Parts: sequence; structure tokens; C-alpha cells
Amino acid sequence: MRAARLAILGLAGLVGLGFAPAMPAAGESSPVPASAPVAWPARYGNAPEELVPFRRVEPYQKFFTEPLPFYGPGRDAPDPAGLKSLRVGLLAPSPASTDGVRGDMMRKGVEMAIDEANVSKKPGDLPFELVVREDAPLWGSAANILVDLAFTDDCLAVIGTIDSTATHVALRVALKAEIFMMNTGSCDQTVTETFIPWLMRTWPDDRQHGYRLADLVVKERGHKRIAMLRVNDRNGRVGVKTFTDSVRRLGHPVLQEMRFLPGATSFDAQVARIKAAEPDAVVIWGEPEDAGHAAAALRKGGVTVPLYGPERVYGPAFLTASAGAAEGMTITYPFDPTSKAEAWTAFVGEFQKRHAKEPDAFAAYAYDGTRILLAAMRAAGPNRFRIRDAVATVKKYDGVTGPMLFDPTFNNLAPLRLAKVQGNAFRFEPAPAGGK
Amino acid sequence: MRSKALLSTLGAALLLAVPLRALAGVPPAELPFPLIERFEHFGLAQGLPAWKVHCVLADKGKVWAGTTKGLAVLEGGKFTVIGPEQGLSHSVVTTLAIDPSTGDLWAGTLRGLNRISAGKIETFTQTNSGLPNNVVYSVAVGHGAVWAATAAGVGRRDAKSGSWSLYDATNTLMHEPWTYAVTLSPDKLYVGVWAGGIVEQDLARGTWKEYRDPDGEFELDLAPDDGPISDISSWATWEDGILWQASYFGIARYDGTRWKSYLEKKTPLVSNFVNFIAAKGQVAWICTDRGLTVTDGTSWATYKSLEKGGGTLEITRPGAKVETRRMATAASNDFILGASITESEVWLATSHGLTRAVLAGKRGQAAERKTNAQGASR
Repeated sequence: MRAARLAILGLAGLVGLGFAPAMPAAGESSPVPASAPVAWPARYGNAPEELVPFRRVEPYQKFFTEPLPFYGPGRDAPDPAGLKSLRVGLLAPSPASTDGVRGDMMRKGVEMAIDEANVSKKPGDLPFELVVREDAPLWGSAANILVDLAFTDDCLAVIGTIDSTATHVALRVALKAEIFMMNTGSCDQTVTETFIPWLMRTWPDDRQHGYRLADLVVKERGHKRIAMLRVNDRNGRVGVKTFTDSVRRLGHPVLQEMRFLPGATSFDAQVARIKAAEPDAVVIWGEPEDAGHAAAALRKGGVTVPLYGPERVYGPAFLTASAGAAEGMTITYPFDPTSKAEAWTAFVGEFQKRHAKEPDAFAAYAYDGTRILLAAMRAAGPNRFRIRDAVATVKKYDGVTGPMLFDPTFNNLAPLRLAKVQGNAFRFEPAPAGGK
Repeated sequence: MRSKALLSTLGAALLLAVPLRALAGVPPAELPFPLIERFEHFGLAQGLPAWKVHCVLADKGKVWAGTTKGLAVLEGGKFTVIGPEQGLSHSVVTTLAIDPSTGDLWAGTLRGLNRISAGKIETFTQTNSGLPNNVVYSVAVGHGAVWAATAAGVGRRDAKSGSWSLYDATNTLMHEPWTYAVTLSPDKLYVGVWAGGIVEQDLARGTWKEYRDPDGEFELDLAPDDGPISDISSWATWEDGILWQASYFGIARYDGTRWKSYLEKKTPLVSNFVNFIAAKGQVAWICTDRGLTVTDGTSWATYKSLEKGGGTLEITRPGAKVETRRMATAASNDFILGASITESEVWLATSHGLTRAVLAGKRGQAAERKTNAQGASR
């Protein structure tokens, strides 16, 4: 019953669509009314006006002002004969990888959505079948895996993945193979900036976190001397770009950016340089455990100024590694996992029933993204092109994580939340009026 | 689509060439490229194994078409198909190149690179050779080697020794090794890199140079003619001193000194979403998701299909009004993925069939001038 309610909550959230959600309502009414047509943000990425690149110059060309089109043929192709299921590929991190825990949660969210859809399918509907393939750290491996999912496993669409490199590599194959990808966990803002009209992302990306953090650090908290301590990998390099550009545009460029390698245990050199720069705030950007160690090292080294970070630092490993040193640190986060909203609590309850633990954001966004995709597949039938078109019509979706607004690149621009470390736990602040 | 195919076949040899907007006054200047006289369509009924054609190569009377279901060879009016059953490494053929010194055909697929020689197929994958990745987006032959752009860098196979070299983020200027195009000039290698613009190697010196979009932003192009149109390269072609960069944000032309950028709506380029560019002389044949545009950078011709059959040709000459003509035939589909140019025809790989575009030639151009003059006098 709870699953059925979740189904209704999720599907009722699909608005601004060219298709009607096909999964059953089972006698329950929708708590989420269909909204008026959704307007695109005035500026790409919903950027605050003062953070727009080259804002004093009219650029020669602006991109991403209209929904990414697909002009190719294929929508009228006959359905594949003899189908016994509607196959959905899942490209997910292996348990042994850096993203293994996140990948496990993502997979659980996907499976839950698929199970619910199969339970509630109408007579005559084909069941959904999940085909799981692990991505691998080797550059390019995701390309080979996507070929398998598209041409060997005959999947109609693919969900994945968390690693941003693997997502990019897979996306380029998705364009060749013409198969839609639902991404629910990559933070790389450039994933949706390629003009390839075959991907939607439910996870709010680093561009959104960069804007919010810059606004918070400079405008709300009044910091002027900002230092950064970030991981020296692709996530760190690409992830900080919007933040560093934004604080520069606000007149307070990062005055010291120090880097550490993934898994670093010593931060002495970095901390010394940061301390010498006399910052009034430090932004830490990295994986939870590394970021926790970095916070502890900063405090141990005598850096007492306020600390900030993006969602990537969130997690028990951060709190354990920082061992109380991060008290007062503020982070941005896509939504409030302590929310009492009905959709969220229903999802958490059902997830706990299945797995005896609470879901995290990776499970939640995977669940929401899978539900959007499955509804599109039900509406479109077993045709990759019509599935793409159906997903591409989704402008707004009220998921278990709250409302999502998709921009013309099919990227979620949901307003972010803030959380503060208090008592060695993340405490979420109330949603700001107007939803920054 | 079938009715369009029928029209294409039945209507072959007909060029209506009716100017909708005749140019007034002086006769138009001669174009620096031939116009297409008619299109002929090849689909499943003609023996093509799949609708989607990723790439095409016309060479010495044969036309090789890389489809989703194998490599089709058109010779003497008949197709034969080489697929995995014959030893091809994968059914989806993405890119083709001929070795002019041997006549060998190199076929890149979504699972490996193949050399087709003397009726045999030799397969190179990332597990049996130095190919960086099985997904091959582009292949080129020259300077004593075959070069393959893959999802994990460029692989170079030396023709004499058979040894492989890898070009990626560890030994070139590309910051990440996702490569989508390789093209060669007499002295340079150019690599189209995803989010890395164009990377150039001086083959004699072994030195590298990088060309990036100076504004560093994907959501805008700050200024025209300042470098590659975008850091996201979808294709690159060098011919006759000109490097053409394709992207999904428009195209750019580099003559070794200056960059010029061309965008939909700001120029006659039919679409910013460019899949492929073939070049002959200093003229580019630009394959987009909404038709074919031909240009040398100053004069333009764009071919598009019409819903009810046939198509249009839009001609833009410097300083002149756009001239639009109806055509009795059109390409098999406007989503064009590849092209191969010969003296008298251009073969187009489209998402819904293979197209032969017959060029007007000198006689055709003379006829065209006559038609224009008549149109102008009406």
C-alpha cells in the first residue's frame, strides 16, 4: 500500500508533460496538483545575475536557451518483436570502487522504483527488467559497457552513473547508439552541457552548489579572504570552477587554493600555506573522509575561521574523520533528508522496510530518476526515440526529494539547502524563503 | 519516409531548379563548389542491411557504408554485407578510411578496429593490440601509420612494425583522453578532443599545440573568430591547408593563422549540431542534424528535405540575396552522419538510408547559370 502511495506521489509530480503517467493510482487521489506551464530560468543554470560569465558583454551566442532537440528519425520504427520485458540498463559503480557505497544506494533506489512499477503494472503491460553492469575505474570502460547495454542486452534506456568521467564517456556512446540515459548521481556540471539530447540528470550539480556557496560565503556571511582546500582529481578540478569563478565575480577571488590527493592523510604543507594567507573562510572540497581529515588538519594547524563545503563532503565518514573539528561548518545539500514531508517519509519508510537502513540522496535521486524514466517508457512504448521524447517533455517533477525543475539541458535546478555541523551531526536549516 | 524514397527513386534525373526568389540584375557569381543536381536513395529495399548509416566511403567504384548492422559494400549496383559473421569485430561500423598505399580498408566499430585486406579481416581490440579503447570514433591513415581516435585516447599503429603508440593525457596536451576525430595534414596530426578543443602535433618535431575556445564557457560563445567554436569537438577534418572543426555548437575554420567561426542563424549554416565534415579543396561539406550545408566560408549552399517530398536548396553568395530553389529529390534523411566526395558525386550517410548526391559538374553549372538568367528575366 505504501508502495502504491509512493507511486502516486511520484507520478503525480510529472507536470508539463506530453504524456500521461501510466502507473496506477489505485483509488488514491493526487496530493500534487498539476501546475501551470513552467518557465525557463531567465539565465542559464539559474545563475544569479552578478555571477553570469562576462555579464557586461553581450556574448556572440548564448546556448542552452531552448530544450535540446533531436531531429533524427526512429520514432515510427516498428516495436521489437517478441519482447518479454522492457529492459533498463544500470551502469553503477562497483562495490569496491570509491563510489561503491553510493553506488549500492543508487542501485537500491533504482530497484525499488522498478519493483514498485512492476507490482502496479496494468494487465498486458510488459514488466521492467533491470540489467546491471558495473562501471570500472579504467578510463573508457564505460563506453564499452554502454555498447553492451545498448546492443548486446538490448536495453531501451540506461540509468547511470555516479562517476562523472564514466558518465561523460558513456554519454558519447549513447549519442551513437541513440539510447537515453537517466543520470542520478554525477555532480559534474558539464555532463549536461554537451548538447547531446540523450541525457537527463536528477542530481543537482556542482554549478548549483558553486552558486549557492558563493552567495553564502561572500554575500550572506561577508567573507572577503577565501581559501580553498580541495581534492586534486577531476571532481575537485571541475567541481570548484563555478565557485571560484563566482567569488571572483563577487570581488573576492580565492586567494589560496591548495590541493590534496585522494586518500591523503597529511595536510601539513597545505595548512601552513593556507594559514599564511590569513583567510577569513576556508572551503573544503572532497570526498567525506578526506574532507573530514582536512577539516581536522586545519583546526589542528590553527586555522580557526569558518569552514564551508559542498554536498560531496556529506556523510558519516566526514563526521568520523573530522572528530568534532568541523563544528560550525556549513555545507550545501540538494534537499533536507530530515524532512517530514509525506513523500519523503513514505519513501524512507518503504526503503527501511526493504533494507533495514535509511536511504541517502543517491538512493532518493535514483528512485526519482528511475520513476521519471519508467513513466516515460510506459507512455512511449519500446522505442528509444519516443522514450527520449517523453523524458524530454518533463519540465517539473515533484519527487521524494522535493520539487525538481529541469532546464533546457534536462538538468535539475532544485533549490539547495544548507546544513551545519552541530554536535558532530549535520543539522539542516529551514528552507529559505524564495528558495535560493 | 517510404514515399520519399519512392519519390527519390522515381524522380531521379529530374531537377526542377525553380528559383522562388529570382535574383534581379546581374547574373550571379559562379559558386566555388558544384551544386547537387539530384539525390538517389538506397535503403533496405536496395539491400542496405540497416536504415542507420554512420559513415560512408567511396573509393575506386566501390561504396562502403558503415551501418548499425554491418559494413555494406555497394559495387555494380548490388550490396554485399560484411558483419560479425564474416569476422567484423562489431556490427556497428562508425568510421572508415582507405590506406592509399595498399588499398586496405580500415573500419572502426563500437568494439574494435578492423583491417579489411585481400578478402581477410584482421581485428584489433584493446585486449589483443594497443588500441586504447574498443569504441572507435575516427580512423585516419597516413605518415606510415593508422591512427584511431577512441574513447580513451588516440592509438597509432605503425604500418611497418605493427607496433602501437598511445596518445592520451599523459603524453600530449589533451587534459583528458576522450578523442573523437583524427585528421592528418602533410606535416601535422590534429585530434578533435571532447572538452579539449583541438590538439595538434608537429609530426617531424613531435611537439604539441592546443587550440581551445578562449572564453572557457560552454553556455556561450563570447566572441566570433577567436578560436575553436567550442571545446567540445565532435569532428575535425584537414584538407588543402584548412582545418575544419565540427561541434554541436557550430563549426570553426582554421587556415593556420586565423580562426573563423560559423553559427546557425548568424551564417547560412543550417544547424549548429554538426556530426561530420568532409572537405574537398577548401570547401567543406557539413553534415548536420537538419540537412547538408556546403561552404568555402564565403559562399553557401544548404540542402534540406521537405515533408511532402523533394527538398530545397538555399544558395547564399557574398553580398547577394538568398536564393531558394525547389528540388525534386532530397537526401534520404536530414540527419546526416557522414559524407564522401568524388569528382562527380557525394555519398551521404544518414540516419535513414544511404544517399548518392549527383553533382551538376561543369555542364550542370552552365545549365544552372542559364536557369538563373532565365529566372532573373522573368
